[in-house]
Amino acid sequence: MSEKEPKIIGFCCNWCCYGGADTAGTARMQYPPNVRIIRVMCSGRINPSMVLKAFKEGADGVFVGGCHIGDCHYDAGNYKWRRRAKFVEDLLPEFGIDEERFRFEWISASEGEKFQKTMEEFYNKLKGLGSLQRSFSK
Amino acid sequence: MDSNYLLARAKDEDLLKKGECGGAVSSIFQYLLDSNLVDGVLNLSHGEDIYDGVPTLIEDSKDLVQTCGSLHCAPTMFGDLIRKYLQDMNLAVAVKPCDAMAIKELEKRHQIDSDKIYKVGLNCGGTVLPITALKMIELFYEVDPDDVVKEEIDKGKFIIELADGSHKSIEIDELEEKGYGRRVNCQRCELMIPRNADIACGNWGAEPGWTFIEIVTEKGREIVENAHKNGYLEVKTPPEKLVNIREKIEGVMIKMARKFQDKYLEEEYPSLENWDEYWNRCIECYACRDVCPLCYCRECDLEREYYSDSGETAPDPLTFQGVRLSHMSFSCVNCGQCEDVCPMEIPVARIYHRMQKKYREQTGFIAGMSEELPPLFSPEKE
Repeated sequence: MSEKEPKIIGFCCNWCCYGGADTAGTARMQYPPNVRIIRVMCSGRINPSMVLKAFKEGADGVFVGGCHIGDCHYDAGNYKWRRRAKFVEDLLPEFGIDEERFRFEWISASEGEKFQKTMEEFYNKLKGLGSLQRSFSK
Repeated sequence: MDSNYLLARAKDEDLLKKGECGGAVSSIFQYLLDSNLVDGVLNLSHGEDIYDGVPTLIEDSKDLVQTCGSLHCAPTMFGDLIRKYLQDMNLAVAVKPCDAMAIKELEKRHQIDSDKIYKVGLNCGGTVLPITALKMIELFYEVDPDDVVKEEIDKGKFIIELADGSHKSIEIDELEEKGYGRRVNCQRCELMIPRNADIACGNWGAEPGWTFIEIVTEKGREIVENAHKNGYLEVKTPPEKLVNIREKIEGVMIKMARKFQDKYLEEEYPSLENWDEYWNRCIECYACRDVCPLCYCRECDLEREYYSDSGETAPDPLTFQGVRLSHMSFSCVNCGQCEDVCPMEIPVARIYHRMQKKYREQTGFIAGMSEELPPLFSPEKE
């Protein structure tokens, strides 16, 4: 992969979105290979610090996928994540990171196609934005 | 005492003379200590000069006199002190609005027991940093700062009193236009009357020599009524005219604060380039975290290995302030201490206050005022 290709960190919940990615894979649906998936048990496990850390380590975009609202394996995890996600959207611009570089989506284990589409869209968006130029330099 | 508003002053002659506005606050403390409702009173006493205030725990009502009078040039916070050292004590505390906000947030987090504490609120139009006060008294009042024996903020003016009894006053607006005056976070603060305490006391709308008290909670009503019944406090009902004056002053102050918020958090908010310069100054001393009343965790995420940098350069703001912002900025009470203690003069409080304002717009949660914890802590499906 060339240097200019966007790097995407994708946090996927074990029960839905990770399954969705799996479905896309087994059905051989093509999606950009730029996403590095990190499996977490629940989107409610993800806190803003993890998103911040991903950007710090050089991600150009961060994706978070959870179960559809109402379908959380742990009942309310994705509600908790949704509240945090809104906060992350407010926080990132304060550090000069375009909030479009951060995306979250609800994808069920059967929605391989939605996973594929989302990745393509996000990839194209990041491609358009170019690689993340952090203004903070050491 | 059917009304929530009343005028009060001390019956004790010493407190009446030495206390601010008739010493009503000291009298209430005197009653609480004498009747053993509290074990101690946390208050500020004068340090070496008027630019120095020492948080003092008073356990004998005879010592209350040393805490009389206001100290606008010695910004301190009590929330953290109570949580760390006075948790087990039945306590009464004199609080500025920001103290009350911090205490409220800590109560919600079970760090301070609300049943053990009486919060006697003091109206506050803002505080001045000691260094700023020294400089501006020299520059604009043309007086040796050491000769000042008393200071007061009244009717929009910062007033100093000299040893010979003479007064000098300058409009605060004028001082602030030149970069002096109240601390910047105080300029932005829109809570002057601490309605998050049990009672709110001050000189707005009071007759000379009297304190205007607004009763906020039932607990507040009880202590004022009993202090009166037991002969510590003289009270009367304020005429409607005075109540209106007080309301008017508050309205004007809030309007001004909102203007300052627009100025400091929008129009003159540091650009990203400015912030980079600021963040590059950071020496990772953790003073901002240590002084923050909301940062009470025993183990701090910031010290985890996976966020740490080499240590040779300034820490990456994303995983330093960013992580801290994501932990507590939605509960920031804008006390401004982080900014006060920063040895590198990074205007930290601005980004925190801005984030709390964003959060307030989105969720309606007002740090230090709302009764519930921030919605981010909620387990609900909503």
